[in-house]
Parts: sequence; C-alpha cells; structure tokens
Amino acid sequence: MGLTTDKVFINFDQSLQEFVDSGALSKKEKATKLASHIDILSLTRSGLAYLYHKSVELEQAGFFQGTSWNDPDKLVPFLVKGTLKYGHPSSSFEALSELRMLRYAKGEDVHELLSAGDAQSFMEEVLVHNLEFALREPTEETRMRMTERELKKAFNLFGFIMSEMDLKGVYEKLVDEVRMLCEQRPIRTQKARELISLVNRRFDTSGNSEKDKAIQVYIHALFSPSKNSEKHQDRDAYQQFLETANETALASEAHEMGEYMNATGLVSGYHALLLLHIVEKNPNLVPICLDLNDRGIAEWEKFHELVSVLILETVSWDNCQCIYGLARMLGKNLFSRRPVRVGLENLRKIKINPQVEKRILKSLTDPDMDVTALQYLIGGTIKVLGQPLGVGQGNNPTCQSARGISMWSQHSPAKLIDMIITVSTQNNLIMRFENQNLISNNLIKGLVDQLDYNLDVVSVVLVPHLDKIYNEMMRLSTGRLDDPHKWVNPAMYGQWIQVGFASCYDYMSNSIMDYPGYLRIFYGAFHPKYNGNQQMVYPNPVGIFITSNKGDMIGFHAISLLRVEETDAAELRAYFLNPNNEGRQDWGQGIRPSVHGKGEKQGESSLPFHHFAARVYAFHYSTLNVRSKLDEVPQEEINQVEKLAKESWGKSYLWNQQTKLW
Amino acid sequence: MAKCFALMGWSLPVIESMQKTGRPFVVVSFPDFESYAQENNIPFLPYQLDEWSDTSNSLDLFEKLKAFDADVAVPLYEETVEWAGALNSIYRGDPRVLNRAFLFRNKAMMKRKALIGGLRVGLFEEVFNKEGVKAFMKRLNQANLQLDGEEDSWVHIKPFASAGTVGHRLLRSMSDVDEKCEDSDFPCLAESHLPGREFSCEAFINKGKIRFLNITEYVKLGYSNFIPEGRYLESKRDLIHKEVQKMVDIFGIEYGMVHPEWFLTEKDELNFGETACRIPGGHILELCSKSYEFDALAAFVICHDPNITEEELDEIFPAKDFKPKNYHGNVMIYPQKRQFSKLEIPESLNNEPYFVEHTLIAPYEGQKLSADRNGFGNHFGTINFKGEDPDRMTELLKHYEEEEFYV
Repeated sequence: MGLTTDKVFINFDQSLQEFVDSGALSKKEKATKLASHIDILSLTRSGLAYLYHKSVELEQAGFFQGTSWNDPDKLVPFLVKGTLKYGHPSSSFEALSELRMLRYAKGEDVHELLSAGDAQSFMEEVLVHNLEFALREPTEETRMRMTERELKKAFNLFGFIMSEMDLKGVYEKLVDEVRMLCEQRPIRTQKARELISLVNRRFDTSGNSEKDKAIQVYIHALFSPSKNSEKHQDRDAYQQFLETANETALASEAHEMGEYMNATGLVSGYHALLLLHIVEKNPNLVPICLDLNDRGIAEWEKFHELVSVLILETVSWDNCQCIYGLARMLGKNLFSRRPVRVGLENLRKIKINPQVEKRILKSLTDPDMDVTALQYLIGGTIKVLGQPLGVGQGNNPTCQSARGISMWSQHSPAKLIDMIITVSTQNNLIMRFENQNLISNNLIKGLVDQLDYNLDVVSVVLVPHLDKIYNEMMRLSTGRLDDPHKWVNPAMYGQWIQVGFASCYDYMSNSIMDYPGYLRIFYGAFHPKYNGNQQMVYPNPVGIFITSNKGDMIGFHAISLLRVEETDAAELRAYFLNPNNEGRQDWGQGIRPSVHGKGEKQGESSLPFHHFAARVYAFHYSTLNVRSKLDEVPQEEINQVEKLAKESWGKSYLWNQQTKLW
Repeated sequence: MAKCFALMGWSLPVIESMQKTGRPFVVVSFPDFESYAQENNIPFLPYQLDEWSDTSNSLDLFEKLKAFDADVAVPLYEETVEWAGALNSIYRGDPRVLNRAFLFRNKAMMKRKALIGGLRVGLFEEVFNKEGVKAFMKRLNQANLQLDGEEDSWVHIKPFASAGTVGHRLLRSMSDVDEKCEDSDFPCLAESHLPGREFSCEAFINKGKIRFLNITEYVKLGYSNFIPEGRYLESKRDLIHKEVQKMVDIFGIEYGMVHPEWFLTEKDELNFGETACRIPGGHILELCSKSYEFDALAAFVICHDPNITEEELDEIFPAKDFKPKNYHGNVMIYPQKRQFSKLEIPESLNNEPYFVEHTLIAPYEGQKLSADRNGFGNHFGTINFKGEDPDRMTELLKHYEEEEFYV
C-alpha cells in the first residue's frame, strides 16, 4: 500500500519538532510517538528515503538516547535481526539505526567515534546476517514470528540498503548463498536469478579466486551459457545466428548449454531458442542439449514425437526454465508411464478457467506476451514432475499443500496431472473425507488469507483449493481427542500414508505423554538398526516443532521424511523435504539442517537421525510392523533424544510420565 | 503567588510542565525515585506515602517540607488526596480541608453530601456482604414496582476509595451477585444504575469558581474519548457549567480541579456519578492541552494556589472565547485475547488523515494477560487522532477500539 498523502511526512516533521522541543523528562515518550511515524514511513521506499535523509538529524536530536542504539560504535550486527523480529517499536528504532549507519558508511555524515570503514563493515555484517530479508525469503521461524507489516518493513529496509550500499565486502557470502540456493534446485528460480544478477551487477567477478570461478558458472548459466550466446547477446541476434549455424556449431552450443543447466539447475532464454531450433532442424542434438543420461536418451528416442510437440508448444524465452524439468522427467522415464503421457496430452487440450488464468498470470514476473497461460501451465507441470523436491510454499503458511504436490509428483504423477486439469478448467476440486465429498468452492476459509503469488504455476493453481480442503478436513477432525492429522493426512495425501499415527502430545491431558514410548515407535519404524534394516518406501508426513536458534519453541511445521540412510562417513541421517524452500536453518542445540554435502539429493534437507527425532512430534507408521521392534531400541538412544527434547520445545509443555497404550 | 508547590506523587509530564513554568516546586514521592530525581535535578523529598505511623504522617511531612518552603500541596494521584488535604489544612489553617479530602475518598460520603446538597443521585447504600447487596437489589426492585418474571434492577458496586473504574462491578441480577461478587469486595458502595449518557468534565477551580471547564466526550468508557465535546454535549454546555458549579458549591471546593462524571438524560437532567480531584486517566489533560492550546497540567497545579492573582490566572488558561480548531481524541488499545504474540497495526491507519501517532508496543513472545485485571487493566498503548469533525472522530475511535491489534 502506498502512502497517498504527504500528510505522513508532515506528521513526521511535526512529531520530530515536538520531540526536539520536549524537555529531558518526556523525551522518551515523545520518542515512542516519533517511532510510530518511522513505522509508517518505513513501509515505503519514499518514506525510507526520507528517513535516511533525516536519520542523523534524529540521532543528534537524541532519538536514541537511553536506548541500546545510543552508541553506534558499540552496536552488534548479530543482534539486528532479533530486534527486527521483535516488532514495533524496537524494529522502527532498529530501522532508523541502520539508516544512519548507512549514512556514516557512505560518508554522507561523520560520527566522531565511528569511522566510515567501521560503519561499512557493520553494515556488511548486518546484511549477511539478514539475507532472508534482503532476498525476501524469510525462514519459517521468521514468517511465524513477524507480522506481515513487520516483514514488509524489513524487506523494504534491506531493499533500500542493498541499493544504496557498497556491497564489496559481502561478495563471498553472496556467492555461497547463490550456491546453496541453487544446490536445492528450487522450481521457482526467481530469487536465485535476482541474486546472481545482483552479484553480476555490483561486483567484479572476473578474478581467479575459488569464489570468482564458482559465481562465474552461475552468471554464465544465466547470461551467456555458450560461446555464441556471449557473442550474440541480443535475443534476435542469437536467433539469427541459429538460422545460419551449421550442425557442428549447434552441437557445441547444445553441449555447453546442457552442461550449464545441469550444473546449476538454471536455464537461460538462449537455451529455449536453441532447443526450439534443433527440435525441428537437428533433433539428434536434443539429448545433448538436455544433457540427458542414458535412460533419458532412451526415453527421448522412444517418445520423441510427444516430447517434440511439448517442446514446440511450451518452451519460450521466458518459459525456458521448464527445459530443466523436462530433462529430469526424461531422466526418470516418466514418459514411459502411459497415464503420464495421456495426462499431458489431455492437459494440452484444456481451456483454462478465467479465474485460474488470472492467478497464473499474476504469478509471472515478466511473461512473454505471445505465450499463453496454458503454455505456462504445461511448463509448470513439467517442472513439478521433473523436480518434485523443488516445490515450495513461497511466503504462505501452506506447507501441507506443498508437501502434497511434492508427494503426488513423486508417487502419483498422473493423479497430479489430473488434479491440475480439473482445477485449471473448473477452478474447483473435490476430495473425499470419511464418506463426504468436500467441494473446495463450497468451503469458505483456508489457512491463507491472501496468497503470496511468488509460487510456481502449479502451486498457484492448486494451493488455494488444497488449502481449503485441508482446512476443512482439519475442522471436521478436531475435537476427537487426538491430533487431527491422524485422519487428515491419509485422506489428503492418499493410500501411501500409513494409518498408524503417533503423536507425543496427548490431547486429553494436554501434556507430552510417554515420550520414551513414543520415541521407541519412531526408532522402531525408521531406524534401520532397529526396524529390521528396512528402508522407507514412501514419504512420511511428519509434524515437527520449529524452534529458534536458542531452542525455544516457536510453532509447528509440516515436512516429509523421505529416507533414512547412512552417509559415507557412517553417520545415520534423516533426509526430508522442507517445503519452505529454506532447508538451512538453525533450530538450536546444534541442530542445523544441511542441504548439501551430507549425502542429500537436490532439494532434500538432512539431519543426524537423533537430531531429527528430537524435533518430530507426530508421524505415521505401520502398527503391525512396528510391534515386534519396540523392545530392541536401547534406552541410551531414547535418553539422548529425550534430553534434547526436554531442554528445547519441551520447556513449553507439561511432561507426563504415565505409560500410554500405543 | 505560591512559594513552592508540593507535588504529591511522581509524574514526569507534570514535573516537566512545572519546569517550563519556572515556578518553584518539590516532588514528594517514594524513595525509589530519589536517584532519578537527583540525576535530573528535580527537587525531591522522599517519603513513604503508603505508611501512616509515628514517623510517617502529615505533621512530620509538613516539617520536612519546610526546608522547601512549600505552602500548597497538590494531589496527583487518588492515593495522595488525603496527604494533600492534610497538608493544605495546615497551610490554610482550616481543618475542614482535610475532611473535604476524605469526601473524595469515600464514595458513600460523597454521595450523601451530593444528596443533601440537591444533586440528582441514585439510590445508594453501604453494603458489607453479598446478602446486603441482595437486600439492596430487592428494595430497589420493590421501588421500581417489579412484577413477577421481570428482570432485576441493575446495581453497581464500587469500592469506597479507588480510582475510576477499579473494582467497579455491574450486577444485573440476583445470580450475578453470587457469581461476580467476592468477599474481598466488601465493604463497598452499592448504587442503583443511573440512566443517561455518560461523560466527564474537568473543572479548574480557584476561589470557589470554575475558571475553566473542559468537557470530555466518552466514546467508550475506559477506551476512548475526545476533546472538546461533540455537538450534542456542546449544546448543553451552559447546563453542565451550572451543575458543576453547583457541585463545587455543595462540596465547598475552593482550589484545584474536580473531575466529576455525569449522566445526561434525554430530559436534560444531570445525574451525578462521582467525582475525583486528581489528574484524570485516559490522557485527558494531554488532549485538553492540545485542543485548547494551553498547558493543562501546569494549570492543574497552579490553580491549587490560593494566593494567585487574577492576571496570573488569566495567563495560564485559554481566553474566555477561545474556540478549539480541532478535536483531539485517543483510543487506548487493550489486547482482546488472553494470549498473543504479535502487534499487528492495520494498514488502514497509514493513510487515515485523522491519525496523528501511537504509542503501541509489541508484546513479548506468547505474552499472557494475568487473570486478575484491575479496572480496565493496563492498556498497551494509545492511538491519537486529530480532526475537524466530531462525528468522524467518534466513528474512528469506535472502529479502532474494536480492531484487534494483538494477535
């Protein structure tokens, strides 16, 4: 929401004047009032620019006096995030503090105790600690803790800082960020693209350091994924080059682009032009262009007719990212499944409901004018099918829906396509729950009030309906003296979900009951040492406690446990999908999910098994299989996890030692 | 002119206002404030105001205040009204000044005095237990000619000596008496429900005459008010002025400020609720200062001075024919839920032309309200508005009072 009047500026000036005129005793109260204007101004760019301009004047008038921000030379960058999260007025003071530091850093004002260099390194540290705001990708914890308005303030503040600040010192951190972001292979690549562009714009990356080389790969992948795309930067020029190029030249282009795509998970518009060209003129180059593995090549050879049609109908400059999804689909032999082929054929022929079309178009940042919503939808479907672990919930509290889409994409792709077709044409969805049909259009409310459209196309289509149905199922199952997910998960996700269900939270007694007994089931069901060395077959919808970096309870979150396996270093780890697209978080007690380098597949997060166990509060399992395994779980394992649990989220609950009949 | 005002109680805004006037004063309050006072050069006399003993009493305090040359005592809080009364009795050589202070501190006595003097009050009685309340309600029902099956007459109970709405309970039926009353409520004052539109005024008195009358429009008692009063109450200003002066005469109030609450009926009758003589809550004097463009806190203190000249009085108050340019209103925000963790400021406030500023603060994580709230409890902040139309002001205050800020 913009500020429609100049009144906010006038109000601010008046309030500032009152602050200046007030005596020492009421300064604090006047500062609180002044902060309420800062709160409003920091919601807009023009407001921030105004505050930036006034920040040092405010400081000199004693705005920070008596607060922890009073001595800019003694501020701790690490603490900034905490105060921002705390909300107004702290966050408003904090924002103003950053703005004046920025002025000092840029030498626009001089502070007698703080050099410009010190201010600059302070701001760099702050930025690195707050990339989630700078990139508008808040973690689950942040999203739960902050109101929409406060998030907006933080996004806005860091947007301002990024555009005004000299970013040299944060280069290496940003490169790491790019790497970690892309390593997770998100379907929605906008953030990665923005970050890479930012680094490209603001830094000299031409050096020879490890970071330079790393970032060059990503920059090339986006802006010049081949020799000739570098030469013919202009879109039309590249098209012209393609028309005249011989097969050798095309092969070398295809080879380069295929490799960049596979290395980064990112696709450029040139790649789209190239693929469209060779699919017609040199189809034998397609496997190289998609950097296919052996299975993928065989799949292409068998189904090249359908795949060619899909490419020609779907791929475009802006819709290029689906090429990566297509390559992954081929690599997984998805076209060998008849229902998938039929589903895609069906999808090609639908007429999209106007409401759905609106949603799709709203989710695109820079759509090609000549590409239809249907083309984007097919492209989106290909992406989800190719990258099931790249599904994210965006800025929405809809982890359940995202988890469902990901699960269907892996284990029931045709069902997912069918659901996409139904919702796209009808803008409605029916699911069955315990002998009643839930019709999403007849349901009023889901978890999400206003969808954040920073989502992939399939999610934008499905989530509003899935969310409402999920919410209704939850409503129907509450009051049954057990966690509603017990009934909702199998109904929502399908027959892959075991009907056995264990939750350590006991509804009757409002306490954590028989935690050791509960853990035994978890270990008996999933730990290969105690479950008869069995591997997981299907994802398991698991409820976890989200904890802060101090281990304090924050809230609940839905994830999928995918597999439990030993790493090369003989460490047993739990691999899971965290639909919030941000696998790397700090959950306290040294529990920090990793997304790369610990045996994760792209898109997976992982934790040591016992760390994972210490955050789970509910899961599904087979009651029949697990019974004989319970006694094999050694007490030491249980004790270790119970200790972690009790000292973190457990502090927010009553603990009940009573034994429970599971 | 007073040689030195003894401010009974600690209030930063009052201290600051007094500093601006340049008049001599000393703050009498708990020893806890002493170090702050010293750091900020505030004349201060530490005194254990919650204790009455051989070493802590008005004669002793009088002696100690001699060092400051104090000759007028000003009560800032309900709890310091007797202290100020006792001191002023000595300063003015009139023991009845203290008795008058007691009048403000005992609501039954206050009502009786009002009744004798001819103000309209409800039926009232001192009660000592639940049975007493029921007997009172029964007599009230009889007087109201209740038929079988008709609802009981409403009864209010209030502690004799608490500020504003603290401990105030409305009982609508016999069963309410059992459910809502607690043994610790007694003894207290039981009173019939007064019909009419509730409002308060602040009358600044000097030499027994109203020097300045402010009328505060309540949008919702305890939540929101604005100044000056809206159109309807403004049309009754003369009536109200007369009635307040009558009350001042009956009570024999000579100096200071009274803050009575009234109920105006459709027949233009004023029912007397109660009155206080300290600084009213709800930031009323702050609003009053803004609308009438004078320092109401300083005026509050200064009009306690028996030796002030007419010229000096004229200087501190707005001119007789002063018309406020704007209405200033505020709404105090209370969490509506028992447990909440975030402050959510509605977007609509950003662009509201009447919005001035707020003092809302974020709660700490998972903050809970304790069950034993007094009166309206502590509000979490105030939103201030300013504008030219009293109807729009009313609408806004109503709207934001209902809006949920803490989720």
